[in-house]
Amino acid sequence: MKVLDIALKDLVRSFRSLFAVGMMVVAPLLLTGLIYFAFGGMGGEQPDMPAIRVGLVNLDAPPADAPFNLGQNIVEMFTDESVADWLVATHYPDEVAARTAVDRQEIGAAVFIPEGLTAAILSGERDPDTTIVIVQDPTLTIGPQVARDMITSLLDGFTGGSIALQVIQERGARLEPGDPLPDRQAPAWQVATLIDKYQTWYVDFQRALFHEPDRAALRMVVPSAGEGGAAPMQQILSMTMVGQMIFFAFYTGAYSMMSILQEQEEGTLARLFTTPTERTLILAGKFLAVFLTVIGQGVALMVFGRLAFGVVWGRPVSVALAVVGQVVAAAGLGVMLISLTRTTRQAGAVLGGGLTAFGMLGGLFTVGIQGMPALFDTLSVFTPQGWVLKSWKVAIAGGAPAELLLPFVVSVLIGGAMFAIGAVLFRRRFA
Amino acid sequence: MDTLPAIETQGLVKRFGDLQAVQGVSLTAHAGEILSLLGPNGAGKSTLISMLSGLLEPNGGDATILGHSIRTEPGAAKACLGVVPQEVALYPDLSARENLVFWGKMYGLRGVALKQRVDEVLDVIGLADRQKDRVDKFSGGMKRRVNIAAALLHKPQVVIMDEPTVGIDPQSRRYILDHVLELNRQGMTVLYTTHYMEEAQELSDHIAIMDHGQIIAYGTHEELVRLVGEQARIDLTLNVEAERVLPAWQEVSGVSRVSPGAEGLVTVLVDDSNRVLPRLFEAATEVDARITSVDIQEPNLEAVFLHLTGRALRD
Repeated sequence: MKVLDIALKDLVRSFRSLFAVGMMVVAPLLLTGLIYFAFGGMGGEQPDMPAIRVGLVNLDAPPADAPFNLGQNIVEMFTDESVADWLVATHYPDEVAARTAVDRQEIGAAVFIPEGLTAAILSGERDPDTTIVIVQDPTLTIGPQVARDMITSLLDGFTGGSIALQVIQERGARLEPGDPLPDRQAPAWQVATLIDKYQTWYVDFQRALFHEPDRAALRMVVPSAGEGGAAPMQQILSMTMVGQMIFFAFYTGAYSMMSILQEQEEGTLARLFTTPTERTLILAGKFLAVFLTVIGQGVALMVFGRLAFGVVWGRPVSVALAVVGQVVAAAGLGVMLISLTRTTRQAGAVLGGGLTAFGMLGGLFTVGIQGMPALFDTLSVFTPQGWVLKSWKVAIAGGAPAELLLPFVVSVLIGGAMFAIGAVLFRRRFA
Repeated sequence: MDTLPAIETQGLVKRFGDLQAVQGVSLTAHAGEILSLLGPNGAGKSTLISMLSGLLEPNGGDATILGHSIRTEPGAAKACLGVVPQEVALYPDLSARENLVFWGKMYGLRGVALKQRVDEVLDVIGLADRQKDRVDKFSGGMKRRVNIAAALLHKPQVVIMDEPTVGIDPQSRRYILDHVLELNRQGMTVLYTTHYMEEAQELSDHIAIMDHGQIIAYGTHEELVRLVGEQARIDLTLNVEAERVLPAWQEVSGVSRVSPGAEGLVTVLVDDSNRVLPRLFEAATEVDARITSVDIQEPNLEAVFLHLTGRALRD
C-alpha cells in the first residue's frame, strides 16, 4: 500500500509541475505540430501550395479567315477550370499595366501575346514583333517557370502539328477513318483544319493530365492511402510523432527518476527513511511512479497524436507491444542514468546531453527523412531508442505482432538490464 | 517496577572513514522527560540523532527506543519515534494537508483515523485555514510548524528534534519551544538537540553536553553548573591581540581559566568578578593594552562548556 502511496505522491508532483507536463506532452506535440503546420496540414496527399498568379495581355488579332486563334488558345489554357486550383490568371489591357502588376508583386509573371501571333504562325514567318514575351518577378522561380513551360508545351503542340502535316502531305496518309484523302496540293484551309484537330486533341490531352488522369496518355501514379499505405505527408508526420514520442518518453523516464535526487536535496528522502517504511518499498514506489508516468505520457501522446494529426498507430496488439517496449526501455535507461548521478544538477546535464545524443544515434530526429545513409541505421542498434523506434516503425506500418517481436524483445531486454543495474546502484546507495 | 527508558544508547559508534564522529556514546532518556543534547556544531549530535532515527547504521554499540533495538527491530523502533529534522523536509509543491496525509500514511495511518488526526494536528499548529495552500507559499515559521506536525501525526511516545529553531525568527522560535513543553506535558519524551544554551536551560529535565563525538557531561542544569562551582564568566574585548595580556591575566589571583577568542575577545572564568575585574584592568594597563568592552555572566551552561573544553560553546 505504501508503495502506491509513494508512487501516487510522485505522480501528483510530476503532473502538477508545468515544466514536467510541458516536456512530457506539450513539447512533443508542439514539435510535431511545427512540422504539420510547416507543410500546411494534411488536407490532401500533397502539401498545399500558394496559387501561381499570372497576368495575360492578349493583343493577338488573327486574320478574319484564320482557322484558329492562337492567342485565344493560350488565354484559354491559363484560364481553364482544370488549373483553377493552383493558377490564377488575370487579364490586363496592355503591357504597361501588366508590368506594373509584376513590379507590385501582384502577379508572379506576365505573358504578352503580340498582335500578329496567329498570322505569323499561319504564314510561317517569324520576327521579334511576333514573339511571346514573359516578364517575371525576379524573386520568384516556380510560378514563372510553370507559365513558361505551359506556353512552351502548347507551342510544341503546334510544332508537332506542323510536322504531322508535312508527313501527311508527303505521304498522303489519312488522319482518321472516313476523312477525305488530302492530295499533295491540298488547299490551305484543309491544312489548317488538320492543325486545328491536332490542337484540339492536344488541349484535351493537357486537360486530362490535370483534371482526368485516367484519360491521359501519360499517368504519374503516387501511392495513396487506398493503395497500400498512408499518404507521404501523413507518413512523415506519423514518423515524426513517433520520434518525438520516443525521445520524450526517455526524457520522462529519467526526469521522473530524478525525483529521488530532488527528494534527497529537499530532505524528504531522509525523512522517509525515518518512518517505519522499508527502504526497498520506498525505492519500489519511486520506480513504480516512473513506469506509470511513462505509460501515462505514451497513452496521452498517442491519443493527442491521433486527434491532432490523424496518426494511425497500427494494430492494437502491435501497438501494445511497442508501448510496453518503450516503457521498459525508457524507465530502465532513466533509472540507470539517474543512479549514476549524485545531484539534480548532474542529472540535468545527463538528461540534456546524454538523452539527446542517444536520441540522435537512435535515429529519433531523422526518422521522417527519406534516404538516410545506412550508417545511421547501424548506429541505432546500439541504443535502446533505436530498437523502440524499430518496433514503432513496424507497428505504424500496420505490421503484425510477430513482425515486431525482435525489436520488442530487444527493447525489453535492454530496458530490463539497465533497470536492474540502476536498481542495484540505488539499493547500494540508499538501502 | 522500573519504567522502560525511552531512549537508551550503549556504546554507540559511528565512523566516516578516519573520522570517528560518535565515540562510544552511552546515554539514557527517561520516559516523559526532555533530554537536551547540547554541543557546538560538529560535536556529533546530528550523527547520534541520525543513528537513533534509523538514517545511519552504527559501526558499533546499540540503542533502544522503548526497548526496541535500532539494529534488530528498526521498524518497531521507528514506529515509536517522531523525528523532526533540522531543515524543513516537506514537499513544497503539495499543500499542507497533502503533506500531512502523506506522512501520516508513511506512519501507517489510514482512513478516518488519518483524517481525524490530520484535522487535529492542523488545529494545533494553527494552519487549519491554510491547509489547502501549497507549502512553498508559507512563511519560514509556518513551514517549521508543518514540519513538526508531520512528526506528531502518529502520536509517537518519543520525539527527536534536531535543532528545530536554527535560523528562524524569535516569534516562531518561541512557538516551537512552547510546543515542545506542551508535548512533554502530554507525556511525550523529547530528545532535543541544540547549540543554544538558553534553550537547553529552559526546556530540559536533563542535559547531555557533547563534544568531539563524546558525552562530556550529563545531569540537570543545576548539577552541571555545580561542576564549575560559583565561577562567573567575564568576556573582555581588547584593542590589542589577546596574547599580549594572557600571561599577566593567568597570574591574577582568582582567575581559574583564560581563553582567547577571535578579534581581541578573551573569556575569563573567575571566582568573584567584583574582586578580580579591577586586577584584570591593572594587568592590562601594565602591558599597554586597553579593555574596550566587558560582559559579566553568572555561572551557566556556557561556563560549564568552557570549563570542560576550554572553548566557548559557539566557537
